[in-house]
Amino acid sequence: MIEPAIALYGSTFQSVMKTLDELLRESGARYVMLLDRKGFVLAHKEALWAPRPPALDSLATLIAGNAAATQALAKMLGEQRFQEIVHQGEQNGLYIEEIGEVALLTILFDNTAPLGRVKLMAKKASETLEQLTREAIVAPNRMGIDTEYRDGANALLDELFGS
Amino acid sequence: MSTINFAAREINFKIVYYGPGMSGKTTNLKWVFGQIPETRRGDMVSLATEDERTLFFDFLPVDLGEVKGFKTRFHLYTVPGQVFYNASRKLILRGVDGIVFVADSAPNRLRANAESFRNLRENLAEYGLTMDEVPIVLQANKRDLPDALPVEMVQMVIDPDKKYSMFEAVAATGIGVFETLKAVSRLVLSRVATAG
Repeated sequence: MIEPAIALYGSTFQSVMKTLDELLRESGARYVMLLDRKGFVLAHKEALWAPRPPALDSLATLIAGNAAATQALAKMLGEQRFQEIVHQGEQNGLYIEEIGEVALLTILFDNTAPLGRVKLMAKKASETLEQLTREAIVAPNRMGIDTEYRDGANALLDELFGS
Repeated sequence: MSTINFAAREINFKIVYYGPGMSGKTTNLKWVFGQIPETRRGDMVSLATEDERTLFFDFLPVDLGEVKGFKTRFHLYTVPGQVFYNASRKLILRGVDGIVFVADSAPNRLRANAESFRNLRENLAEYGLTMDEVPIVLQANKRDLPDALPVEMVQMVIDPDKKYSMFEAVAATGIGVFETLKAVSRLVLSRVATAG
């Protein structure tokens, strides 16, 4: 209960969505997604023409795991960090950029979007996103979850798992 | 720490199943996956070797439902239990909200339980956390083994002070699986509610 959380809402969330929208348009990518280091999706955007994306939860979890493993590898090799992660297949590619200490920017693109352009636009967007996510960090004790919420959630636990 | 997404009106919690190799962590998740309605869970992701040993993690998102206008979701993870996968295990603990420690009731796994519990303490310490700061419940799994040790003995080697709740289970047939998950979820919710 020590790690800070990110709470995106209001104008900060709108600014994040605007940045993702621009990134999607300028890079020609299929999907862009902002997630925290634990693998929770914070915001995402899809191109209108793109096919339905895979399950975002699963995608975000694997990307966060992948990024965490890559950074652990970097440290073992004496590097502070590896700046970027790229995967390229025959049809699709995945580009991951770190956003400060707490978030990850992920871009899924197909072979109509050149990797160079994806990288360039991602780096441009990452500066804005780093500032925005920094503003959205809240201390764990200011999350605003109260006992009324807890009691409601406990009732749902009984319903799902039996009382 | 839990993640609140005000825009999507979601609150997410991360629960990790920890314990020695082959103690039944993945079996717990598979039971949950198989029993709760499809509308209340996502796909289960397993990063396992060909012989079904967990290599990196298993993952299962469970939707609790809506509370005070917020969709509440538990993300369940397992760690690889085998000793030499510690680097991966450590990564999965990042941002954990609650832990289920799955102990093996077999007599020849007593030491493995103790070593895994010590390893959990060490890995939490790497994130600056102590065992007192994270909600933890224990599960003595494989109670159907003919030579299963008494549950008190299983608890004795990992938790001699009996600080944590212990649940008896046979994860393969679902006995004790939901009870354990419910208990850790309740602890997690209590913890965040009192923190607020």
